[in-house]
Amino acid sequence: MKQFQYQRASTQQSVLDAISKPGTKIIAGGTNLVDHMKHGIIAPDKLVDITHLPLKGITPTKTGIHLGTLALNSAVAEDALVLQKQPLISMALRAGSSQQLRNMATVGGNIMQRTRCTYFYDTTMPCNKREPGTGCGALEGYNRMHAIFGASDKCIAVHPSDMCVALAALGASVIVVGKKGQRLIPFNEFHRLPDDHPELDNHLAKDEMIIGVDIPDNNFAKNSYYLKVRDRQSYAFALVSVAAALELSGTTIKKARLAMGGVAHKPWRLFEAEKFMEGKPVSEDTFKQAAQIAMQGAKAYENNAFKLKLAPASIVEALKHAAGIV
Amino acid sequence: MPTRYINRSTLQHSNIPTIPPLQQQMNKLNHPKSSTGPSRVDGRLKVTGAAKYSAEYELSGLVYGVLVGSTITKGVIKSIDTQKALRAPGVLAVITHFNTPVVPGYVPEKGKPEPEKSPLRVFYDDKIVFNGQPIALVIADTFERAQFAGSLVKAEYTEDKHITRLTDHLDKGFTPGEMFGMTPEYSRGTVAAWNTAPVKLEQEYIIPSEVHNPMELHACIARWDAENKFTVWTKTQGVKETQNELAAFFKLPPENIQVNSKFVGGAFGSALQVWSHEVAAVIGAKVVKRPVKLLLSRQDMFTSVGYRPHTWQKIGIGATADGKLVGITHNAVGQTSAYEDFAEFPTGVSRYLYACPNVDTHYKIVSLNVGSPIWMRGPGEATGTFALESAIDELSYQLNIDPIELRMKNYAETDPQSNKPYSSKFLNEAYKMGAEHIGWSERSAKPGSVTKDGLLVGYGVSGGVFSADREPATVKATMMADGMLVLQTAVSDIGPGTGTAMVAVAAETMGIPAEKVRFDLGDSSYPNAPQQGGSTIASSVGSAVYMACTDLKEKFQQLIGNGGKDQPDYVKVLKEHNLNKLEVVTDSKAGSEVDKYQMYSWSVHFVVVHVHPATGVVKVDKVACVADSGRIISPKTARSQIIGGAVMGIGMALTEEAVYDHRYGRLVNSNFVDYHVPVNADIPQIEALFVNKPDPIINPIGAKGMGEISLIGMAAAVANAVYNATGKRIRTLPITPDKLVEWDVVS
Amino acid sequence: MEKEKNHSRPVEESDVKDNSRRDFLKKSALMTAVALTPVAAARAAEMHMDERLAQVFEKMPLHLEINGVAHNLMVEPRSTLLDILREQLDLTGTKKGCDMGQCGACTVHVDGHRVNSCLTLGIMVNGKKVTTIEGLAKGDQLHPMQEAFLKHDGFQCGYCTPGQIMSAVACVREGHANSEHEIREYMSGNICRCGAYPNIVNAIQEVKEGGMAI
Repeated sequence: MKQFQYQRASTQQSVLDAISKPGTKIIAGGTNLVDHMKHGIIAPDKLVDITHLPLKGITPTKTGIHLGTLALNSAVAEDALVLQKQPLISMALRAGSSQQLRNMATVGGNIMQRTRCTYFYDTTMPCNKREPGTGCGALEGYNRMHAIFGASDKCIAVHPSDMCVALAALGASVIVVGKKGQRLIPFNEFHRLPDDHPELDNHLAKDEMIIGVDIPDNNFAKNSYYLKVRDRQSYAFALVSVAAALELSGTTIKKARLAMGGVAHKPWRLFEAEKFMEGKPVSEDTFKQAAQIAMQGAKAYENNAFKLKLAPASIVEALKHAAGIV
Repeated sequence: MPTRYINRSTLQHSNIPTIPPLQQQMNKLNHPKSSTGPSRVDGRLKVTGAAKYSAEYELSGLVYGVLVGSTITKGVIKSIDTQKALRAPGVLAVITHFNTPVVPGYVPEKGKPEPEKSPLRVFYDDKIVFNGQPIALVIADTFERAQFAGSLVKAEYTEDKHITRLTDHLDKGFTPGEMFGMTPEYSRGTVAAWNTAPVKLEQEYIIPSEVHNPMELHACIARWDAENKFTVWTKTQGVKETQNELAAFFKLPPENIQVNSKFVGGAFGSALQVWSHEVAAVIGAKVVKRPVKLLLSRQDMFTSVGYRPHTWQKIGIGATADGKLVGITHNAVGQTSAYEDFAEFPTGVSRYLYACPNVDTHYKIVSLNVGSPIWMRGPGEATGTFALESAIDELSYQLNIDPIELRMKNYAETDPQSNKPYSSKFLNEAYKMGAEHIGWSERSAKPGSVTKDGLLVGYGVSGGVFSADREPATVKATMMADGMLVLQTAVSDIGPGTGTAMVAVAAETMGIPAEKVRFDLGDSSYPNAPQQGGSTIASSVGSAVYMACTDLKEKFQQLIGNGGKDQPDYVKVLKEHNLNKLEVVTDSKAGSEVDKYQMYSWSVHFVVVHVHPATGVVKVDKVACVADSGRIISPKTARSQIIGGAVMGIGMALTEEAVYDHRYGRLVNSNFVDYHVPVNADIPQIEALFVNKPDPIINPIGAKGMGEISLIGMAAAVANAVYNATGKRIRTLPITPDKLVEWDVVS
Repeated sequence: MEKEKNHSRPVEESDVKDNSRRDFLKKSALMTAVALTPVAAARAAEMHMDERLAQVFEKMPLHLEINGVAHNLMVEPRSTLLDILREQLDLTGTKKGCDMGQCGACTVHVDGHRVNSCLTLGIMVNGKKVTTIEGLAKGDQLHPMQEAFLKHDGFQCGYCTPGQIMSAVACVREGHANSEHEIREYMSGNICRCGAYPNIVNAIQEVKEGGMAI
């Protein structure tokens, strides 16, 4: 790891001042950034430590819940308000990582975490995300973990977060602040697809920082489920994950929310499938049809064709759990 | 009083079995709980963090070495730019093949050509033979600085075309030489008789490369103590072997090299030889004239210290309609490196596990541009048993005979290969114990027919076997004036609890409390002991401890002169005779019994799996493992060893696979994120059961090894259970969800 | 107790390979020390300048209370808590198994919470309380979790054990030891290659059911 300068920020403004200079990165939990620095993926000249800013709160708002960007993943997962109103988020968080890492990782860091693509991590390999123009190692390489939706020939990596899949499903917003002030980015518009610029994970401007997330109130609490399918029972990234949330009226689906992880460069919200389910009866058949709609446009590569089966199977399974018909 | 040197290599076995206190615990020992029996003698050091592993010695002037690996797979180094690294803060040296001091043992003797094959000679020349091969050693005053400087070293290469995919090159297989008395080619009876049998099958079984991945990273601290003397603190399964190998590399008398390995944080075979990083540390220490600590990264652990080789196997097996085996043909092709011929004979198990008249086996290896493999827990047999015991299971469904019954019908009462009697074999009892414990009668013979809470339920079984050996070992036993018995021998303990078991043997033999026994190990200056590999330590060192204690007792009896009627009060006798200690050094080794008997340890693994029908996720729900490995000396640690092997077997079955990107010849999952070893959530309660009948032949304590058999067969048991649950036969490990997932399109 | 300890080893004159570095102090006469940021110092060192000077500016003061003992250290910002413990303070009970947050061998408590010390920059926990495996026992009296690991043989080789025990203590304190299933899930961040998982679960259950304040 290259030597760097360290600054502990005491105000938001000092963070914004610091990141306006090239080579400066924000550090909070550090679980992703320190890992990247150890791997030589990035080598910042300066780190600005934001963990002493008062942005840890998990608080009720008029319209929902606010998660401060520094709220720890473990704290959010076990917060009484979150468990009561947005259990899907807790389920997703607990499906990710280990308790030790959740004790370090923050909400903002989770949103900002970068792909676990092996070609991104290995600096001897080509990777357009790490080093634009070097090519995509995964495209014709080992791509078992890779995207089936929204990939480009520049990058087929997936976003690794579980929490973000739940936040995408629940229509959360990311609150960011920059020199020009504060703005709200709908969760589904925060992360990008790779297109021609896989080096950009999201739409956060270089001089902006995340200060929190707002999750709107909903009626999904009783019928939410996060399913994560992975190569071992815990402490592994998803082959496929599904966040499913239903609002039921008797046995009829009033509202549905569905998003997938492990399938795209961003948390993959399934709007069409959601729309299809609304007004339909709760049944395995409804869910299977929704899954088929969800899979439209999916494209597999040499090693991940199984996701074309695993993804719809997981959608059905998650929806059945959410609806309580398992 | 001078030390009496007793050589009792031709041991009389009339006194077997004779350790009475253990008999009383017999029932408990058949099925111990995690809390049964004495705890580990070194446990307190381990739970307090006081146990020191190789990288943890704080030496005066210690500096840090970091290896830089090749980024190509085959070719030659054109140049290495070390200037930036040399200018980085704290850097003391950058060693490459351009500037390394000569390792004398690397150089062929005068007039002799370069050897065609040899262990990797680090920094010897410009040749690259695998991706990740060390090309430079950077030494700096702190770890951080060494690591950063390492990232500044850049090499240029001329690249050659490489081959790394075994299954594309099976035709390049060649027959390796004989090893441990095993021949790669074998047949008895009629070749391909299986094909004439009324019921038969022929299938291919593939295991990927699996990596030992002990939790402790391989590490070596090297310090030159004089011009021709050095000391290493290193991770090794045998301090004497390490001493001898280093002596050969550096052309020094072995006694000039002190090897310390007091605590070893797991190894499973990966520390059975001296690796290039250890030689590099010694070179580095010579260059900077300070002790050098060299710690491998987890990534290095996948490339530089061996692995279980990717192996393709094909089995043809046939039986009569009533389930008598007619013939087995077993072919195997495994991978090795381009610079060493590594062989482990996975086909061996087909020759001797069952009474089968017609057997032929062939084993070949293919040289690939990869690092060399090394023995990994249950070497050969673990691989071979996955194929054979899967095939037997497949056959049982074709025959519609219960898999246990099929195995009993072909039970070998004498060794089918040599026709010699077994020293002991209670495998049939093991099957009974395990079947009862797992509830085998609940198993449905129809695959995919049982569900519980929406999950498919399946039962699987497999046998396991590994050679039971006894190697020469020497123990020095000293009774101190204060009544403390000190035992010394140059064995390592990589985790099974060797010290604990040896203390138990000594305490019982001497008739003193375990607290009064100290067992010293991991020091090359102690008397000779074998490497901790191949499940030989309990048998070899245990016998040596027993015999040394017997000798010491005899020496006390001689002092007393009462004809050995009473248990002597050792402290009193020493005091009366004005002695501050009494000491023996006893040699122990196998005798002619090895010519008369065939000796094996046996195991049976029973597994219940739950398979999620939609996603193909497999969860092991229940495990019962039975060991027939002679007398159980230390119930607590024996149980843990069986459980540990089962866990590693579950990893082999369900999660572990080292993956290459063959375009680059480079591993793409050399980390714990992408290479999945089992975690706690993958593992249910595992029952360890012991037949616990002493082997009356193999050695004076009646104990046989269990490190290998604890794993051998486990992967087949899981795969067989998955078949029973789903009707899907997975013949390529690991059984990940992608291989089982189902999705039916609805209209 | 206040303890001054810094084990980093200064580079000796004899180690300096490049004479030009020795001239750095002369060359840098025009440079004021305060203007030298650590990064500038690092660059200076890369450019043949004196590494001893660079070293001074690369380091920052770090105050930590480790196992009840105060430590005032000078560390590079890039030094992880794990390397500070193991290489500077000789607290080698905390283990390095992967150095990348993938195995849990390095688990320690920071202000009572279990974290991976390999991904924790030391400088970021300035002023906090760190507990390592060495700080768990009270003198000769083992912590109940240590006793339970001994009794149930929750290890073989012992290398992951300190991390397992630190994690296990936290698991009980957090309230995540209410069932075998929950224990397994919340202990899955600690890999044990010897496969002692069932014994680890038994040990934790015993402590949990014993109801002792830990």
